[in-house]
Amino acid sequence: MNGAPMAEALPAAMTDVAADRLARLFDRHYERLYRLARRLAPSADAARDLVQDAFLRAARSPNAIPHGARDEEAWLVRVLVNLQRDAWRKSAVRSRYAGSPHHVSTIGSVESAVVARATVWRALDALAPRRRAVVVLHELEGLDVRAIASLLGISGVTVRWHLSRGRRELAVRLGALKKE
Amino acid sequence: MDPIRDLLKDADPVRHETIAPADRERARRAVLAAAEHPHARPSSVGRRVVLAAAVTAIAGGAVAGGKRWLGATTVHAAAVRFEARLAETTPTLDLQPVRVAPDRTIYLHRDVIVTNDDVVAARVVPGNAPGRFAVAVTLTRSGGEKMRAATAAHIGRPLALLVDGVVVMAPTVRSAIAAEAVLSGDYTHEEAARIAEGMLVR
Repeated sequence: MNGAPMAEALPAAMTDVAADRLARLFDRHYERLYRLARRLAPSADAARDLVQDAFLRAARSPNAIPHGARDEEAWLVRVLVNLQRDAWRKSAVRSRYAGSPHHVSTIGSVESAVVARATVWRALDALAPRRRAVVVLHELEGLDVRAIASLLGISGVTVRWHLSRGRRELAVRLGALKKE
Repeated sequence: MDPIRDLLKDADPVRHETIAPADRERARRAVLAAAEHPHARPSSVGRRVVLAAAVTAIAGGAVAGGKRWLGATTVHAAAVRFEARLAETTPTLDLQPVRVAPDRTIYLHRDVIVTNDDVVAARVVPGNAPGRFAVAVTLTRSGGEKMRAATAAHIGRPLALLVDGVVVMAPTVRSAIAAEAVLSGDYTHEEAARIAEGMLVR
């Protein structure tokens, strides 16, 4: 190979300091981010991809990451939710459920709890990513409206709206299960 | 009691699953490797299979016209629009003629096979001449399948690779192209780095 070594011309090549920071960022936030990803993604594989892609975004944009654990976390969460939104837009998840709000009616009492759980999770899959994130952060992670608004960078009114609509959509889709 | 919340909590996979240390470590290594090579987008957790190149069969060389950024002295992470489209050597009414060399015109199909959305990695690689560089583009699995399907039925005819709307390569397809192609556009390192980085900007 002739010419300059590739590393010479890499734009904004990371310094050791930046690489160290990335390692700390990963160690500090991976578990929390994975938990959220697992609750936002349809599968464990998808969740692992999602978390890795979020950190890869951080690796490519080190200057965009704010300092401080809380702001770092909020930045990563927003990246993760946006990545999930991109993936969701490309997937057929929406069409799978469009117009079939009563799909859980086939779940009979003899079916296992595992099937019921899968049904609940598929109902979550049908929610738009930001709405799903709001529902998950509130219902499963116990965050209040103000904390969610701060984390996702949206207003409290928007959080309440997504929460209300998300719960309503889930109630429709899970109607049969709720009665059991 | 909140039935929706109860159902969600009962179904929450985090309650029933654990994070495998090996998965965590693999992700950590991939992320830190990306810090050293920010152009490349490593395959996620080793499960996104990057198919090996079948035959890229590059017959065309660099084509004049794709050098609008030559004067730039700074590499910017501006988006670069990448497209691959089938082309023909003979005109028909619905094809778009493009002169790619003084003595060569190709005729582009309007349908785009793959775009930036189908690119999983783009990296600078050595070119055909000293001090010149190319961009190796790796496609996602679905992008590779689209490329393979399109080129399998296009043997012996041109494939156009466009950057920012300009045809930079027009190789003749010798066999079906899978998931990797090299834009041997005879670039400086800076130009190649700009294209590689720009392809990954969404």
